[in-house]
Amino acid sequence: MKSMNSINSNHKINAFLIVAIISSNQVGVGVMGFQQQLYQNAKQDAWISVIISFVLAHLAVFIMIKTLEIYETNDIYEINQDIFGKLIGNLLNVLYITYCGSIFFLILKTYIEVINTWVFYNLSPWFLSATLLLLLIYAFTGNLKVIVGVSFFSFVITFIWLFSLIPPLEYAEVQYLLPVFQNNFSDILKGTYSMTFTIVGFEIINIIYPYIKDKKKVNRYAHIGLLGTLLIYFPILLVSLMYFSGEQLSKTIWATLTMLSIVRLPFIERIDIFMICFGVVIILPNLCLYAWAVYRGVNSMIKISLSAFIWSFSALMFILTLFVQTLTQLNDISRIFTHVGFFAVFVFPFFLYFLALIKRKFRKTQVIQ
Amino acid sequence: MMKKYKLIFIVFVFMTVLGGCAEQKILERLSLATLIGYDGGEGENITATAIIRQVNPEFESNVETLSATARTSKGTREQVSAQVSKKVTVGQLRVVLFGEELATAGIRQSIYTLLMNPEISNGIYLGVVEGEAKPFLEYQYENITDISQHIFNLLEHNIERENSISSTLHEIGRDYYSPTRQIVMPIIKRKENVIEITGVAFFRSEYMVGRLPAKDIFYVKMIRDGFEKGTFELVLDGENFESVSTGETPEELAIALDAIKTKKTIKLIDQNTPEYDLNFKISVRLTEIDASIHTGDKKTLEMLEKEINKKMESELSRIIQFTQEIDSDVFGFGEHYESRVSDSNLTHEELAEMYSNMKVNVQVKSEIIRDGVFGME
Repeated sequence: MKSMNSINSNHKINAFLIVAIISSNQVGVGVMGFQQQLYQNAKQDAWISVIISFVLAHLAVFIMIKTLEIYETNDIYEINQDIFGKLIGNLLNVLYITYCGSIFFLILKTYIEVINTWVFYNLSPWFLSATLLLLLIYAFTGNLKVIVGVSFFSFVITFIWLFSLIPPLEYAEVQYLLPVFQNNFSDILKGTYSMTFTIVGFEIINIIYPYIKDKKKVNRYAHIGLLGTLLIYFPILLVSLMYFSGEQLSKTIWATLTMLSIVRLPFIERIDIFMICFGVVIILPNLCLYAWAVYRGVNSMIKISLSAFIWSFSALMFILTLFVQTLTQLNDISRIFTHVGFFAVFVFPFFLYFLALIKRKFRKTQVIQ
Repeated sequence: MMKKYKLIFIVFVFMTVLGGCAEQKILERLSLATLIGYDGGEGENITATAIIRQVNPEFESNVETLSATARTSKGTREQVSAQVSKKVTVGQLRVVLFGEELATAGIRQSIYTLLMNPEISNGIYLGVVEGEAKPFLEYQYENITDISQHIFNLLEHNIERENSISSTLHEIGRDYYSPTRQIVMPIIKRKENVIEITGVAFFRSEYMVGRLPAKDIFYVKMIRDGFEKGTFELVLDGENFESVSTGETPEELAIALDAIKTKKTIKLIDQNTPEYDLNFKISVRLTEIDASIHTGDKKTLEMLEKEINKKMESELSRIIQFTQEIDSDVFGFGEHYESRVSDSNLTHEELAEMYSNMKVNVQVKSEIIRDGVFGME
């Protein structure tokens, strides 16, 4: 099937930028406090859960790219329309758009929550969401090239987190990692499951794929991108596991930030506050890329201009943030989206690939006849 | 198109300007609580004594001591707030002290509140005041202008020099929430016009159950974290050195040592008792010794090393025995047990109870690397 909106080669991006896109989209607010849930499930074996979840992610990415390779110039929305037909395909697309929009909402809201608990207690959330959404609009109207630029910048900068792990190491107790494999495998898998909201983001390849110049190299760079993310999450988790004692970690909501609050530099008293503000750079590509995913989805059904879309989308998100006020509500929503995310990222791609294969066979036999 | 960008720009400017109004924290208009001391009040109440620093536009900051009694620590903060002319903030809090009475009655709630507050850094120091915190803080010290800064520096440099055990909020929280390791904190006390670290307080769960004098802090620290650069003093039996002495040996031979390198190894040798081998390998620099002992001789040094080992072993065993008597596993032997024995069906409580029956064999191997610039041949 030929792509409905074929892409001008001016808008195409280099394959190696996939590394930055995938990694920056994965690393989001999760990096500030993914340890708590993970620890509650998998205890000191949490690091095994992380490795398992990354193995799954590699597998999912591999399958996603295989599916995309069958079509070459289409993104997931057009593939859905092709495989399931206009009606069901569009229904699925609406679901996928809702998924991307919800993740967008969760990232935005969680980040605001972090600012409200750590930095400004009384600053009204609507002000923060308006500011962040304006920033998003500013980046988004620059088209995909600007978004990719933001991703690349964020990807490079994210590695600063690793340096901030050095001072807490002074208090690390290696024995908190022992004994290894003490917990049931099912607990470890539960830990992997609770990583879902943290690890999602690589599914952006489904939307970005048609924009890539050299499609043969996509596979390689996508996997390097995943490794880049592992390189950030894994050390943070390992240090947190050694830094906190068991129950302390299971009570600490934003473990990474709490860990940083012990660092005292001569010129900055509280580095955790600095890192939170710095978080804008980390979440901006997430917001941009998910908004882009929603934009492509909407565009596959209704033609809409870039700026008209982003203003109305931001307005919608702004209104939605007003409805969620407390942390418990936010936690409920993110719990639901752990399930949804798991299905959308780890289950659906395999299903889609299977159907795409059948469809191709079917079409080939038709041609031969 | 231009028009729209102008609009965005204007909105941005408005946002930023309005954003500045959101939450002002202007230094001159704040009261910075830099040290808080908690005492157990009557009944359920707690008394908080806060050292409050106010910065004036003339760059002269004045320090006040205020206290209040309420049910919660936030309640005391409100009351303190009613006594000052500027808004109270705790972002600059450096030290929290507990009165001995409160420490004995339990500090669980205080630890929890401190950990919960995002304003408070996990790097603040905690300590116990001998007696009550309020009179200790309210006393007019002759040479101390800012008592909070003074106590903070006192704790910090001693912890850095390894003369005191480290008691940051993080470590206290870590040990408190670990069921198989207990809290230790330094004890401070006023002595005339001087504030000094006089000992170390041992806790079981949230309750202070025992204490040792300041000269034992070194050994507590040594078992807990090992040490790298601490200086310490040992008193050896003079009699054993008569054969190598050139003059008259004193009855008690005091020596001072400076640690260069230490290696601590802990090994579980029997799971059932349980029994531990605790080994230290230390390299030291001899910094002080009686003039009559000739340290140039290899035999003397060997003898000295042997005596050091013996002395340290007995001191370390004594400390461990003391903690076993008060049943306070501050060294985390239980934690170590849990991490090595994966198939033990013991609950945390059972494991904690086992501590008083644990057997710990201490062995010290010291090596004198060098001494000063005078004396050795």
